Amino acid sequence: MTGPALRTSALLAPLVVLVVPFLVWPAVFGLVASFTSYTPLETRAQFVGLDNYAAILSDPQFVIASRNVLVFTATGVAAELVLGFAIAYLLRQPFQGRALVRIALLVPWLVSPVANGVLWHFLLTPSIGPLDYARGWAGLPIGPSPLGVSGLALPAAIAIDVWRKAPLVGFLVLPAMLAIPRERWETATLEGARLADRVRVVALPPLVPLLLTIGMLLVGDGLGVFDSLLTLTGGGPGSETITPGLYAYQQAFRVNDWRLGATAGWLVAASVLVIGAAYVRATRVFVRDAYAH
Amino acid sequence: MHMRINARAALLAALLLAALLPIVWTVLASLGIVPDNAASPPTWRGAASLDEYTDTIGVAEPRFVGELATSVGVALFATLLVIACAFLGAYGLARWRWRGATVVVPSMLVLGSLPVVAYVVPLAETVRRLGLTDTLVGVGLAQAAGAAPLAVYILHGYLANLPVELEDAARLDGAGLPSIVGRIVLPAIGPAVVATAVVIFVLQWNSFLVPLVLGSENIRTIPVAMSDFFTFERELTWPTAAAALVSSLLPLVVLIAAANTLLQRFRLAEADPV
Repeated sequence: MTGPALRTSALLAPLVVLVVPFLVWPAVFGLVASFTSYTPLETRAQFVGLDNYAAILSDPQFVIASRNVLVFTATGVAAELVLGFAIAYLLRQPFQGRALVRIALLVPWLVSPVANGVLWHFLLTPSIGPLDYARGWAGLPIGPSPLGVSGLALPAAIAIDVWRKAPLVGFLVLPAMLAIPRERWETATLEGARLADRVRVVALPPLVPLLLTIGMLLVGDGLGVFDSLLTLTGGGPGSETITPGLYAYQQAFRVNDWRLGATAGWLVAASVLVIGAAYVRATRVFVRDAYAH
Repeated sequence: MHMRINARAALLAALLLAALLPIVWTVLASLGIVPDNAASPPTWRGAASLDEYTDTIGVAEPRFVGELATSVGVALFATLLVIACAFLGAYGLARWRWRGATVVVPSMLVLGSLPVVAYVVPLAETVRRLGLTDTLVGVGLAQAAGAAPLAVYILHGYLANLPVELEDAARLDGAGLPSIVGRIVLPAIGPAVVATAVVIFVLQWNSFLVPLVLGSENIRTIPVAMSDFFTFERELTWPTAAAALVSSLLPLVVLIAAANTLLQRFRLAEADPV
């Protein structure tokens, strides 16, 4: 090895020593185990082909969980990106106290997912929550918590996720929004651009790589959603808010079906890695285009 | 023009209200002030007191102080480990003149997006075999590994945008790597590294699945206690829950307020291609 290569390897070594045994290896182990009869109790694991996948895909609970998480992630992430972008756009022009507002955007995200579930369980309880307080003032009857109502629980869980993460997206987008050169806004104004044009032509293009990165993080978080739903709904009512994350946890640590739990987890990993591959491709295109200009 | 500025201010105020009202509602409840929505029009009752805090911490959750100490210990250990490993790794990647880096760096973000639930079942088995279940080291290492790739991505964004001329000049003068990092790199991006550490600390503090699965009697962090508390306390009232929620949130709010100036510089950005 030459000097620079040796130096790079030495710099990367601690990271590799940390991440390989506690992240990469478990993920690979989960993939391999999903094709075998392995469990921690079984000494002789056998190759079983796609048996574990057949078992999990024929479980109606898992099918419902997959559908739920796709709805949760697609609508939640889209709303978080749009709202976060809008918040940053609104904060674009300087005013007294903007730095304070920016830091306040972090507060909902500081609430841990577990605490968030507890918080909203109570805030949506009719007799004490802010929504029903407003309904009371409007002369409307107070209703049951949407978390217990069939058809409303999943949309409510999505809205709560958006509450926690959209301000964070605004916090992350704002510096990039402020880095857009002043002249571009001025040119757009001189040319009489409307709001939609200013967003599409001036604000959006330089922010696309950042929005892709934030989107990747949000998608990973969404597809693996577990802790906030555990305390918010526990997957109910019925199976309306169960997700593959909740399913994997319950199978592995409650029902003690290690094989189903590990396989469900690996399917979550696979879905994130597929999106991740598309993300890496997309960022390379941006890097190439940027060099071409 | 005035109309537009007012509309902007009104929209911002509405968004801020939506973001912060739930927190304010919870703080009020933790002080014993709750609305009665069944009354028409709704009324407020209760007088401000700290009884809920003394009840939560003293009676309902007698182990709270121990759990707080465990949470601080695990989160600090994991954060320091993440920043140390990620800083060195990101520096190596940023000064590595190789095309493959354009794949490795975004791949770090993908690895950092991998939810814990995707690999927690085999992770629990790995940690058990290493004999690290229910130890601070085991839980800390597992939490750190999950967050390290994200920290590499963030720190690489700062490091790749630093001009390398000073470092090259120092190298020609015979300076070694430790002195280049200590005298040139860290002074330039120290605040950004600390801001990244604050963000990573929040993630570690709120981490749930790893301590839930890998911890037990010895390692019981606040989110795990909160989940148990909520699941098993059938008679849990809103003011008690609110006091527990505020107690778990307060350390982070204090941290964020203290790090305010640093966090204003926080950026999640890949290197601007030159």
